[in-house]
Amino acid sequence: MYILGIESSCDETSVSIVKNGTKEISTVILSQMDVHAYYGGVVPEIASRMHVENITIVIEETLKKAKMTMDDIDAIAIAYGPGLIGSLLVGLMAAKTLSFIYNKPLIPVHHIAGHIYANNLVKELEFPLIALVVSGGHTQLVYMKENYNFKVIGSTLDDAVGEAYDKVARVIGLPYPGGPLVDKLSKKGMDTYNLPLPLNDKSYNFSFSGLKSSVINLSHNERQRGNEIIKENLACSFQNRVVEILTKKTMKALKDYKVKNLIIAGGVAANRGLRKSMEKESEKNDINLTIPEIKYCTDNGAMIAAAGYYAYLRGDRADLDLNAKATLEMK
Amino acid sequence: MKYLFVNSATTNLEVAILIDGKITYLYDENVGQNTSSKLMPTVEEAFKKSNIKPRDIDKVFVVNGPGSFTGIRVGLTVCKTLSWALKIPVVPISSLEVMASGYDENVISLIDARRGYVYAGGYDKDLNNIYKDRYTLLENVEKNIKYVSYESFSFSTAIPKLDVKKIINKHKDEEEINPHTLNPNYLKLTEAEEKRLNDKKS
Repeated sequence: MYILGIESSCDETSVSIVKNGTKEISTVILSQMDVHAYYGGVVPEIASRMHVENITIVIEETLKKAKMTMDDIDAIAIAYGPGLIGSLLVGLMAAKTLSFIYNKPLIPVHHIAGHIYANNLVKELEFPLIALVVSGGHTQLVYMKENYNFKVIGSTLDDAVGEAYDKVARVIGLPYPGGPLVDKLSKKGMDTYNLPLPLNDKSYNFSFSGLKSSVINLSHNERQRGNEIIKENLACSFQNRVVEILTKKTMKALKDYKVKNLIIAGGVAANRGLRKSMEKESEKNDINLTIPEIKYCTDNGAMIAAAGYYAYLRGDRADLDLNAKATLEMK
Repeated sequence: MKYLFVNSATTNLEVAILIDGKITYLYDENVGQNTSSKLMPTVEEAFKKSNIKPRDIDKVFVVNGPGSFTGIRVGLTVCKTLSWALKIPVVPISSLEVMASGYDENVISLIDARRGYVYAGGYDKDLNNIYKDRYTLLENVEKNIKYVSYESFSFSTAIPKLDVKKIINKHKDEEEINPHTLNPNYLKLTEAEEKRLNDKKS
């Protein structure tokens, strides 16, 4: 079964064709990152404008790359939320139009489910599992006892982890998107700054806004005293706290739920500090860890097409009145 | 010839099918904020009631602005996708022209763009754009002419009227546009872009 997946929830216009939820046939990703970098972050209206300019081009290129036509496609999967509403709508309207013209099933896919199923393109998921989804817009711990069965056991109470990274990057004076640069810089530094371990409690929830504020205050106070911030050390101290709490709560969830399979998904899964820490702890606790290649960590149509296959098997279908959702619970 | 007309840029959602000069389907209603969920079911109904399939359409006419940014994109994405997938021509139409189309006299169509600004465009009875479509301060719009608008202003305005036959007759022989390059005509930069330009100037 060939599924065409469309993803436009933030600043990437991406379309893919995936066979049976596991084999990526072709993918095209048009990233707008360079444009938003001018503004120091994603500008929703500009993102929407660029999606509408590119959507049909990206669909055409994906089919060309696969040497397929729409008649070869069995169903269309669409990321309809959560995300930026104007951005989501462009992908959604294109998906609904294709579904209508070619009379193919329309499969609604939750964006986070997509991130989780990016792993399925690398290696088929093994259950039960715990998924840690970390990106610029999301931070969640999800328990799955079988395919396409999601139980969100923890979430961020404020900022997403990637969001905190980008803000800290700005304080340090790094350009947008700063997350990867903080990661890089932290390797050269030492953990010298006294920062709190955020929301170090028994829940599976996260909170990064307090830690972010600590970084801002610390840097402000140092500057007032006429001291230079040692950027490498501040990056290292911040990253260590983030990685420690993510690792600690993920390991606790694995233990409490008696689960041996762990997957990490989302853009921040590319973070080297996080990868290293998770690899180390997984080995120590005999956990079967999967982290996708970097290209599957950021938003892409393949993850939506992969998730779409299992959503299809579960019987998920949408009508032509499907609307985009800025916020959406995972079910 | 079989034509599809779509307008989701302004207050009323408008969908029509014309077959050999006859209107076989016409929808022209205020659907509020529900354009994105209402449009495709309406298009589907248009084809059903006209007893034709999407593949039977010869040309698509779509309003590409000005108006609600999101509204413009909703209709335009559908029509770009239709045109690309079915390999049929697509023709962009001004929302201001559509609002004026039902009048047989000179009128200026107005859309409130907030903060004292409007989108304005004047059309004669043959839909020639006699006062070029623009984004401007309301006080700068040409005076002493009949105004057409969905919104209310401090002066009197008439309700927009759609004459889909007239629009299609005027545009049916226009050169076709590659659907990939068919884009919205917002007539206005995003706020972020405006701010950036202003910062550069100062």
